[in-house]
Amino acid sequence: MKNYFIKRIIYAVFTILLIATITFFLMHSIPGGPFTRERPVPDEILKILNEKYHLDDPLVVQYFDYMKGLVTFDLGPSYSKIGTDVEELIIAGFPASAKIGALATFMIIIIGIPVGMISALKQNRPVDYMVMFFATLGVTVPSFVIATLIIYFFAGILGWLPTFGLNSALSYIGPVIALSGYSLSFVARLTRSSMLEVLRQDYIRTARANGLKERSVIAKHAMKNALIPVVTYIGPMIAAILTGSFVVERIFAIPGMGRYFVESVTNRDYTTILGMTVFYAAFYVIMVLLVDVAYAFIDPRIRFGKGSN
Amino acid sequence: MPSSIQELDLGKVVISMDKNKFVFVDKQEIEEEEYRKSLTYWQDAWRRLKKHKLAMIGLIGVVLIVLIGIFGPMLTQFSYSDQVNDYKNLPPKLDLYKVDDDIYIYLSGDYFLFSVAENGRLIKRLELPKENKDIINKVYTYVLDGEPVILDFSYNLLPGKRGYDYDFTLEYKGNITHDVYKTVLNKIYPFGTDSLGRDMLTRTMYGARISLIVAFVATLVNFIIGVTYGAIAGYEGGRKDNIMMRFVDIVNSIPLVLYVILLMVLLRNQGLWTIILALGSVYWVGMARLVRGQILALKEQEFVLAARTLGVSKKKIIMRHLIPNAMGPIIVAMTMMIPSAVFTESFLSFIGLGVSAPMASWGTLANNALSGLITYPYQLFYPALAIAITMLAFNFLGDGLRDALDPRLRKG
Repeated sequence: MKNYFIKRIIYAVFTILLIATITFFLMHSIPGGPFTRERPVPDEILKILNEKYHLDDPLVVQYFDYMKGLVTFDLGPSYSKIGTDVEELIIAGFPASAKIGALATFMIIIIGIPVGMISALKQNRPVDYMVMFFATLGVTVPSFVIATLIIYFFAGILGWLPTFGLNSALSYIGPVIALSGYSLSFVARLTRSSMLEVLRQDYIRTARANGLKERSVIAKHAMKNALIPVVTYIGPMIAAILTGSFVVERIFAIPGMGRYFVESVTNRDYTTILGMTVFYAAFYVIMVLLVDVAYAFIDPRIRFGKGSN
Repeated sequence: MPSSIQELDLGKVVISMDKNKFVFVDKQEIEEEEYRKSLTYWQDAWRRLKKHKLAMIGLIGVVLIVLIGIFGPMLTQFSYSDQVNDYKNLPPKLDLYKVDDDIYIYLSGDYFLFSVAENGRLIKRLELPKENKDIINKVYTYVLDGEPVILDFSYNLLPGKRGYDYDFTLEYKGNITHDVYKTVLNKIYPFGTDSLGRDMLTRTMYGARISLIVAFVATLVNFIIGVTYGAIAGYEGGRKDNIMMRFVDIVNSIPLVLYVILLMVLLRNQGLWTIILALGSVYWVGMARLVRGQILALKEQEFVLAARTLGVSKKKIIMRHLIPNAMGPIIVAMTMMIPSAVFTESFLSFIGLGVSAPMASWGTLANNALSGLITYPYQLFYPALAIAITMLAFNFLGDGLRDALDPRLRKG
């Protein structure tokens, strides 16, 4: 067990370093520098700029400088937002993104799982059909469409919700729904199908044959096992929320990391893209690591299967 | 007692049987009946797929979408880049005001008046000379064939004009109207026009073409890279497999959209092929894993041993023996990959990394619609609907294909 964790942690650190390396060399293989403009910058200015940002150093030196900075969370200056460092952008944007992301995750778990369970227990009844209808709709409609529709109806026509920002409690509703829509539907579908699978198992029949109450059959025997496949979806879910935040924050004009990232992509702000990509990837790897560790506690098969060899 | 009846005395039980009731079996006939037409794997899969209702709906949907993507843009009278400056932002449904016998007027969200035939065919945009714009009193005077049409939209806006049921009136030859006469469908632009006066119907169909080309080609690239990589890793096994799969694990532990974005930035968005390349070069890891798993199981089977004993080369064993046998799950994975590629492409276009104007994919169409959403919601509606239908059709087909091609995974 201990070995398994240590192995996973080393593996995660290695992955993050590798991601940083790949990203660094990708960004530096772009023809032309960050100061290449339509109107060429005069040579002297370019030289000074290059010196200021250490772009005249050999690539290897730049690489080690960057990695050194990475360890101390110093991601260098932003090329298009003069006077701002990339880590300042991350620090400024992260709280808003994290709040919405955490709320969305919470929604997905407390709504998606029970809804899927109910749907499985009432298979082929109206409730089931309704849940499946909405769940299917949810995975087919992109998050940017959901977000724009919310703005259109609830903010525009009905005027119930604010159209932008995160200034009141109400303003969280739109972004959270848009962000959780896809994953919520997916979790509901996944829970339903895995619950149906489990309910057909022999041990459930045995439990019933032993005269257990239906409630305890479901709560104690079926539910726990049905949730295992759902836990494996948490990794992709985090990724979906991360990328979803790019569009949702843009549409709802939320000053979060996702919006800064999209802005830096449009502005071709290389250091910001580089820094934020590494940050996102590292965040994701760490989250998945935490989930996997939690998973090892939940499912003994993982611990003694994968962990031991 | 008839002689044909035999009596068998089995203890106390007497069984009597009529010989005439029995016929000699014609051996040949029976054997012929026993042989059913032998179905190949694919025939069998097709038979199963045909029974799957949702999958057939999905298949029909996919075929229709592909046909629309190929032929649709050729059939309309506009091209995807044709701009008609007079007809900007026209919705698919027009509210007509009857100002005179046989003269119908449509008022657009940009305060333009259009003369429309009763059946919904646009005739022309009314001229509005600059000096006729009285912004202070909120009265515009348009000109229709020399006659003035006066639009007074000061109601409920200016003091002394409050408490009306309507916000504006139209005056033509002394007649004042303020009620919608009837709502007709836009005959020239069934899906309306966008902010540059381009036909939304043509653009949505053209978007289908672009989105599907991107999805299909990217999936093909995925297929080629993923299958080659997975097959090599699976067949070689041992250390090579270990190293190759560790790499896949690492790539897989990164949110892939980030890398697609990075590649798009790197390739500087030089047209359709950049987005295909970006999608194709990143999403192959899932395919590689799948193929490796299949190959690992297949390579232990006797027919591979037989081929090896006969001295068939490694390449040939992989290409002719292993991959064809793993084709079922591969096709299922590809069918599922196409809608997710459509999704990712529209997502990229939406954040401004998609195909460049005047080309359009569903994502760019949705993105363009965003700025005028409150006034022209229909511009978002059609591309969004198209994405949703495509996703549904491919998902239904993929589910059915999984049941048909990979019976072990069948649900229920």
